[in-house]
Amino acid sequence: MDSFNLLTGLICGVTAVLALLMLFSEQPLSCALSLLGVLLGTAALYGLMGEHFIATVQLVVYAGAIMVLFIFSIMLLNLKHQADHYNSGKIRLVVAGVLGMAVFILLTAALMGYFSSTPQEGIRGQFGRGEIQQLGGNSLVLSHALFTQHYISFEMISLALLVALVGAVVLAKRKFD
Amino acid sequence: MDLKVQVLAAFLFVVGLLIILTKKNTIILLMGIELLLNAANLSLVGFSNYLGHIDGQVQVIFTITIAAAESAIGLSILVNLYRNFGSIKTDKAVTLKG
Repeated sequence: MDSFNLLTGLICGVTAVLALLMLFSEQPLSCALSLLGVLLGTAALYGLMGEHFIATVQLVVYAGAIMVLFIFSIMLLNLKHQADHYNSGKIRLVVAGVLGMAVFILLTAALMGYFSSTPQEGIRGQFGRGEIQQLGGNSLVLSHALFTQHYISFEMISLALLVALVGAVVLAKRKFD
Repeated sequence: MDLKVQVLAAFLFVVGLLIILTKKNTIILLMGIELLLNAANLSLVGFSNYLGHIDGQVQVIFTITIAAAESAIGLSILVNLYRNFGSIKTDKAVTLKG
């Protein structure tokens, strides 16, 4: 159990450092590679939590498809030495930094307060870690919920994805005058 | 474990927010939006795991689908932006500014 906690802490730390690298890098490609690292770290955390299906979807869709789209468009636009023109003003950086710190401190305080007290009895659902093992694993339980309770939403979301796909092709091919 | 994951999700959210507030490169802005969505997903999965629900994970599958659609549309808008203004800096796209 102790090595499990150590591994979780290590992955959280590496993911946070990669997110900071993303914030401070100016080149789009190094930013994209840091984002890839963040997504892989998130997928590893999902796997450690026992949510294997979400971890696989994260790897295939986020770290696969979306990152390929980003890197492909960086390649397509072929932006070379424009890095020095993208800096925003000092005041803006300082104000954004202070606001961000305030939001992070408030969120962390709220989370600490939440996790220091035990949740009320009615809030806990029926799919605890042991129950999911008994019911046949995370993928089985998740797909059962997806294809019974949330069936209409699933069909709607696949339709929305199709519309977005066609829309993206139409937008990219179109010539505006 | 649960607290660590939630604090990491809050941190990723704040970093994504800072990227959107400070960067002027449109590709990096889109990456910041992806980071925000990813942080929200991490928080949803963490709480659904902690409280023993499955609905949070169903919601995460929907969010990942919408994120894929959003990045495809966003990047094709980006290609058009580059074609029309010759740059992907946000300051160049000021045609609608009164």
